[in-house]
Amino acid sequence: MPRTDTILYLDGVSVAFDGFKAINNLSLVLDKGEMRAIIGPNGAGKTTMMDIITGKTKPDTGEVFFNGSIDLTRHDEADIATMGIGRKFQKPTVFESHTVEDNLLLALKGQRGIFPTLFHRKSSEEEERIGEILATIRLEGRRSDFAENLSHGQKQWLEIGMLLAQDPKLLLVDEPVAGMTDAETAETARLLREIALTHSVVVVEHDMQFVRELDVKVTCLHEGSVLSEGSLDFVSSDERVVEVYLGR
Amino acid sequence: MITQRLLNALGGRILWVAAILIAVAILVPASNLLLPVGHPLRVPNYMVALLGKYLTYAMLALALDLVWGYVGILSLGHGAFFALGGYAMGMYLMRQIGDRGVYANPDLPDFMVFLNWQELPWYWWGFDQFWFAMLMVMLVPGLLAFVFGWFAFRSRVTGVYLSIITQAMTYALMLSFFRNDMGFGGNNGLTDFKDILGYPIQATGTRATLFAITALALAASLLICSAITRSKLGKVMVAVRDAESRTRFIGYRPEYVKLFAFVVSAVIAGIAGALYVPQVGIINPGEFAPANSIEVVVWTAIGGRGTLFGPIIGAVLVNYAKSWFTAAYPELWLFALGGLFVAVTLFLPRGIVGAIGQLRHYWRSRSARDEGGAPPETPETEQVAAEKTVRARSTAASPVLGAAKPQPAE
Amino acid sequence: MPHVAPLCPAGHLPHKGGDQPAGYSSPISDVGRKAITSKLLISPLVGEMSGRTEGGNVGRILLQLIALFAALFLALTPAHAQSVEELVRQLPEGSYSDRGKIVAQLAATGDVRLVPLLEALAAGELNVVEETGQVVTTAPSGDTVRLTDALTAETAGEASKGAVVRIRVNNSLRRAVRAAIGQLTLMSDSAATRRSAAEAMFNAAEPDNLALLDEALAQEEHAGVRRTMEQARAASILKTDASAEQIAEAVDTISARGDRAALGILTAMLGQADDDVRPAIQEGIKAIEAHLALLDVGQNVWYGISLGSVLLLAAIGLAITFGVMGVINMAHGEMVMIGAYTTFVVQNIVRTSFPGLFEWTLAFALPVAFLVTALIGIAIERGIIRWLYGRPLETLLATWGLSLIIQQAVRSIFGASNREVGNPTWMSGSFDFYGIAMTWNRFWIVVFALAVFAILLVVMKRTALGLQMRAVTQNRRMASSMGIRTPWVDALTFGLGSGIAGLAGVALSQIDNVSPNLGQGYIIDSFMVVVFGGVGNLWGTLVGALTLGVVNKFLEPYAGAVLAKILVLVFIILFIQKRPRGLFALKGRAVEA
Repeated sequence: MPRTDTILYLDGVSVAFDGFKAINNLSLVLDKGEMRAIIGPNGAGKTTMMDIITGKTKPDTGEVFFNGSIDLTRHDEADIATMGIGRKFQKPTVFESHTVEDNLLLALKGQRGIFPTLFHRKSSEEEERIGEILATIRLEGRRSDFAENLSHGQKQWLEIGMLLAQDPKLLLVDEPVAGMTDAETAETARLLREIALTHSVVVVEHDMQFVRELDVKVTCLHEGSVLSEGSLDFVSSDERVVEVYLGR
Repeated sequence: MITQRLLNALGGRILWVAAILIAVAILVPASNLLLPVGHPLRVPNYMVALLGKYLTYAMLALALDLVWGYVGILSLGHGAFFALGGYAMGMYLMRQIGDRGVYANPDLPDFMVFLNWQELPWYWWGFDQFWFAMLMVMLVPGLLAFVFGWFAFRSRVTGVYLSIITQAMTYALMLSFFRNDMGFGGNNGLTDFKDILGYPIQATGTRATLFAITALALAASLLICSAITRSKLGKVMVAVRDAESRTRFIGYRPEYVKLFAFVVSAVIAGIAGALYVPQVGIINPGEFAPANSIEVVVWTAIGGRGTLFGPIIGAVLVNYAKSWFTAAYPELWLFALGGLFVAVTLFLPRGIVGAIGQLRHYWRSRSARDEGGAPPETPETEQVAAEKTVRARSTAASPVLGAAKPQPAE
Repeated sequence: MPHVAPLCPAGHLPHKGGDQPAGYSSPISDVGRKAITSKLLISPLVGEMSGRTEGGNVGRILLQLIALFAALFLALTPAHAQSVEELVRQLPEGSYSDRGKIVAQLAATGDVRLVPLLEALAAGELNVVEETGQVVTTAPSGDTVRLTDALTAETAGEASKGAVVRIRVNNSLRRAVRAAIGQLTLMSDSAATRRSAAEAMFNAAEPDNLALLDEALAQEEHAGVRRTMEQARAASILKTDASAEQIAEAVDTISARGDRAALGILTAMLGQADDDVRPAIQEGIKAIEAHLALLDVGQNVWYGISLGSVLLLAAIGLAITFGVMGVINMAHGEMVMIGAYTTFVVQNIVRTSFPGLFEWTLAFALPVAFLVTALIGIAIERGIIRWLYGRPLETLLATWGLSLIIQQAVRSIFGASNREVGNPTWMSGSFDFYGIAMTWNRFWIVVFALAVFAILLVVMKRTALGLQMRAVTQNRRMASSMGIRTPWVDALTFGLGSGIAGLAGVALSQIDNVSPNLGQGYIIDSFMVVVFGGVGNLWGTLVGALTLGVVNKFLEPYAGAVLAKILVLVFIILFIQKRPRGLFALKGRAVEA
């Protein structure tokens, strides 16, 4: 597949911490507009992979390209974020001492420099966009509440809302339904599918029911490299995957 | 319309505080100058100087609060910016002495004559001009903060590490300024000033004017800080304080946000130092002592960090207490100060302003419940915002613990 | 043995021999001495030469022999059993030659107390109180003179100027006195005395000393002292009109010494040397200079290690609390200070109650200081710090407040001025290590710092507490879910860190002023060490402390002490930018969290 058609292109990526290979010769390709679910046991390197894509960790070897041509290893977190990669963390991290509205306002696409931010005044378009997102993530009623007072699930949604506000080309979503009720999980799956219509998405998740609901191609990571790739049914019937998950 | 926008930008409460400060700037000098000596309402001369000193300290505490309360940078070296501003002013005042010094040398300050220096070192050039000195008052601390912050924040030195190296910075500066070779008067510093802009520095009128300028400068700093913290950048600052890496992942550069706050803060501290020197009459390397900088932190903590008038209240209260103690029970002052440090961190983490806000919030929700109504939606008052920010601060500090309290990542 | 003087048969001098006790008054040793001296009898004829007073080697040696003879003669007379005190009393009596005999007898006693007395005699400063016959030195005090017993150096009241009479000396007596001094020192029983006497002769070389040195060399058995004597002899040879060959040999001996004194002698020699010996001297100078440069480096390394060991002691406790608990303990310096004051208190108790155990003070102070500071540390942890976990900046402020309180408390109890903590003898003085001057207290502190480090390393690696501490350092939450009582570990860790600070205080009381501000002087440096070395790694602290110490001491000669310190601070500030977590940082995801 030519690299130029991909939104995300990882080839032969390795990174080690103190000799421990967190990522080992990992190759992964994501098409534009594709949604991909990534599964894998603890320590498979899922979070480290996200760290590499978002510029937090620099790989020891290997290529990482975004949108076909941008070498992500040469950029830092802020650059990568403004280029259009949004990330939701495993542990929901919203700005707890800001209101829900301010959280979204901070995430809204726009200039990030010091002085534009200092002299920024909220435009009516921004006001409108915030309203839309609030509706999407079902937090209209809590617009002026402090984020720290939200429930766990609401924080997860707020974080997804912040992703939406960034309007990235690629979303990296780490365990979006951890700690959610079944109803919330189903709702989140619906929300992600909706997002995937217009964005490329990588979802890391343990919850197989949720992955099934997403109904997308699945990649299983193990010890820092791809173990199996295909439909969920294909992957879950792969003997090696079974072995990794259930032990020998 | 415009006033409304201004009110929004600055915050109504802050405008009130600023107005009070402006009133003080007028009333205190007026009472000192106009009322006859012995009048019960007259502010005595020594009190004008003392209050003026407190207000410069308040400005310093405010500057520290901007970086500590809002961006989470606990600087243990803010005294350095204060002292540098003070030295810049002191150099101007030294040059104004002219040939009235002990050695009557028209070009060289006394201490240089004493050291057998033949000519003015290059870094003293221009300090005979008031405008140049004032420029340096802001430029020198600002530049130091910029260079220091540029390196520190870019390499992501945070938390305790940052605190320690700010302390090392002021310590290194102290040692440097103690050296005679530095050309800043060594141990004795700069003193024996004669006049400022042609007005005798000891005169009552000059002192009253200096006081008024200090109060106005404090009001202006307060308004500027308020404008900054209420802007979107201010929200980013708080976001950086609470979850630095998160702001990175949505595209902000925390290092620049910190750098901005640090430089603004250093400039305010420098101006405070410049106002301090003519009112106290001396600047010496002792002002760089790390202990001084830490004391500023406790003023801020006692008043309430993350609120803008907390540090002002804290600085005035603690320094008033210091004046009282050192007169009445000098040996007890360090016990009191040390006790304050411990008590505030343990029992009053939000400071006085935060605690009052909390108390009011508590009473309001209780009376609301007594009336049988549902507890009101939390109104976004300054105090509540403050107490929340402070509570969040404590969690924000935990990434510092990195090595000590690693969070499981998966 | 090439330097044996012809007229001195080997081993003929009295009172020399390593196994003979130094006691002079004991009848047994007197008998021994008598036995030895009686074998040494040469010829009574020598006595006839006593009239010769001319200088020169031969004369010197003859004089020695006269003195010897006189000593022997007297030793064989009934008067021989006289004590030093009695001999001294006889000194004012009789003629110059009588005095010479007594001086020789005094020399034979080997009593080193006589050295100042004899020096005073030679200088013409020795007096006798006419009434009592007491031999004294005097110092004018208004109309009267203050008397000091010449032998015991005790004050002996005052007397009017007329009541004392000077003991007169002439040149021949002076020579006899000098010979006696040389005999007392250069041939003393104590190797240290012999060495210092030889050293003094090296520094004030003159041809007159040659004979004495040759004699001493003839029977010297201690290799080190021999070397010094040979050097002194070489220096004396340079003062004579010796042949070029001899001079070259002497230059070699001196340049082998390789120190500044040798350099001084050779440089002075260079100006007046003949052309044929000049190259040898120049070569010698060059060799010494190269050696000195090397020594300079060695000396700086030693100073650096010494400073580094102090830093290590002060920082290591901090490294533990900071590493394990993430707690910045600003009161750490005050723990050091309390340790020093504990030493002061312990020493006072020992001084007043058990004066005989003074040498052991530090051994008592160590456990006491450790316990006191460890308990205070645990109290601080339980009382304050445990409420502030997860809020390191607040902990920093609270402990700073504590440090103010502790300082003021100590100031109230002990006063603001410095307290005197005495050094035991084994920690006083200095010694020479291949030309590098070391003081004993610094040496022991280096040893102590390394010992503390080693013990701590064992505690961390081999004990249950150490294991738990490391577990908590790496993953607090996991450790606590494994059943480790993290609060308990925290308290003990803090106690351990504070206790080590107390130990550091005991050591620092030996080299620093014990004042309430003692701790403040170390706190910033200790932080620098910990931050530089990297948190959570004891080796990092060791390397950090030694590096900073050595760098500091190497900068000092070029930049001066203050500027060196500033440069080191700036260096650390820059270093932290480069490696925000220090030299030996923990790596991986865990640290970022």
